[in-house]
Amino acid sequence: MNGVYIEITVFLVFFVIFVLVGFLAKNFRRGNLNQLPEWALGGRRLGTFLVWFLVGADLYTAYTFIAVPSSMYAVGSIHFFAVPYVSLAFAIAMLTMPKLWTLSKKRGYVTAGDFVSDRFNSNALAMIIALTGIVAELPYIALQIVGMRAILTGMLTPLGGNVNLASNIALVLAILVLIGFTYTSGLRGTSLTAVMKDLIIFTTVIVVIVTVFIAYHSALHTAFTVKPVYADLPTKFYNAYWTLFLMSAAALYLYPHAINGSLSSMSAQKLRLSTALLPIYGIGLAFLALFGLIIYGVPAAEHVLKITYANNGAMVVPTLIASVTPSWFTGFAFLGIFIGGLVPAAIMSMAQATLLTRNVIRYLGRELEEKRETFIAKVSMIFFQLLALAFVFIVPGTYSISLQLIGGIIILQTLPAVFLGMYVKRLEKYAVAAGWLAGIVSGVYFEVYSNFVYFKYTIIKTTLMPSSLGLIFVGFMALVINLVVVAVVEGVVYALHKQPKVLPENI
Amino acid sequence: MLSMNNKYVIAGILLIIPFIAYFAIPTYNRINPQIGGLTFFYWYQTLWLAISAVLFGTAAYILDKGAKE
Repeated sequence: MNGVYIEITVFLVFFVIFVLVGFLAKNFRRGNLNQLPEWALGGRRLGTFLVWFLVGADLYTAYTFIAVPSSMYAVGSIHFFAVPYVSLAFAIAMLTMPKLWTLSKKRGYVTAGDFVSDRFNSNALAMIIALTGIVAELPYIALQIVGMRAILTGMLTPLGGNVNLASNIALVLAILVLIGFTYTSGLRGTSLTAVMKDLIIFTTVIVVIVTVFIAYHSALHTAFTVKPVYADLPTKFYNAYWTLFLMSAAALYLYPHAINGSLSSMSAQKLRLSTALLPIYGIGLAFLALFGLIIYGVPAAEHVLKITYANNGAMVVPTLIASVTPSWFTGFAFLGIFIGGLVPAAIMSMAQATLLTRNVIRYLGRELEEKRETFIAKVSMIFFQLLALAFVFIVPGTYSISLQLIGGIIILQTLPAVFLGMYVKRLEKYAVAAGWLAGIVSGVYFEVYSNFVYFKYTIIKTTLMPSSLGLIFVGFMALVINLVVVAVVEGVVYALHKQPKVLPENI
Repeated sequence: MLSMNNKYVIAGILLIIPFIAYFAIPTYNRINPQIGGLTFFYWYQTLWLAISAVLFGTAAYILDKGAKE
């Protein structure tokens, strides 16, 4: 009992420092929507190594800390797809982002919507792409809220013993803190909090991995004895595995927050080099994923997870940390994971607000004065966070990785407009729009069909669907349909002897 | 000094190698040899993260060598 108070005190002290620093930092530099929200701090002023170091911490979100270990625990080896995903995502980023950076520098783009508007000479298509980005961020933000909630649940439950009450209070607190943080920290993360957040997160990742592996190095052997099916990948999941990692990799750099982050780099070269070295951070993700296995070999922690938390996979990492580290460090590590959800959620809703003001409201013909634009941006961020909350209720915590994958299904449908738009010279806007529509409709249909009809779940758990290839990721099927429709409509345009619009000369 | 075209070809090959490695699922979907109780399936893919970083880093170096800022 005493330990819990130490844990909460340490958590609160560091959280207050974190918030105060952010609040003070805000007064140094005012936020401005026309400046890029900086995913990591001052990418424009720092060298490759420091940028790489700081951007690396941004990869540790609730996806890494909570969702991946949770699904490894509940479902098993198939969710190790997150490891190849991390590697291949950066290969794809190296192919696409320096090009987008160079175009953006030349033509003054800040978002993917800006690019689409210019490339296809269509504000309507840009608006579709921007709205898709806004919607795709919602489940991803929901995942961050799930992570914050898990941490608060882990601290509150020992106080009263009632896990349902604790997790409800935790959810309310999580959303209030998120809204408060977004509202006060302004339109972009400020540099001082970014450094502090990154230091806390790196300390957490390193210490937690080292202590858990030292304390439980024999646990893996026990785990594979208890769960032999987790030792490798069942062959029936082969096609699910590669469709998941390939599509996740393709999706990552279509997300508005990732594009914003890349565009804030100092030069295309620095962007390329720091992206190239990012797979190294995936090693930390791989170790955290293994926590989902290790817990099967740690009877004390597994007992707490089963009895206290009713097998809620989101509690795997918090439970292991609490069982192996002293209370004061547990409090510190919990803060690391908590802000690992908080800061990305704030940045994602900032990216949404940027899209809303730049590519939706402006294209509707409304020129807003700067002050009003800032106000709308702030209010819209809170609105989006509340919308994201809805997703928390439609996917159980254990399967929270599905939230990120649902975001993936949606954002993947912008791939033809953004990635193909950069490289394919003759691409008709009607083809891209038709493909997008086919992709979104089929993606939603397959996701709903698979969960409620095929698997007969009463709530959304999976993003896999049956196919002639066995189970595959819904996002893959939807993107294939999207691309086929794009090709067919292009073909029709050629058949009608209309000359498809060519890239403007200087793009 | 490599020509720009050759640079792109070499960088492209370096970027494609991890795709080939990870797509060849049957080659690493094995239990043995294990490291510290961890089955081959897990540690092999984790090792490839480090290899990816080396390959990508080399690709970035080749592409940007001599390129103006």
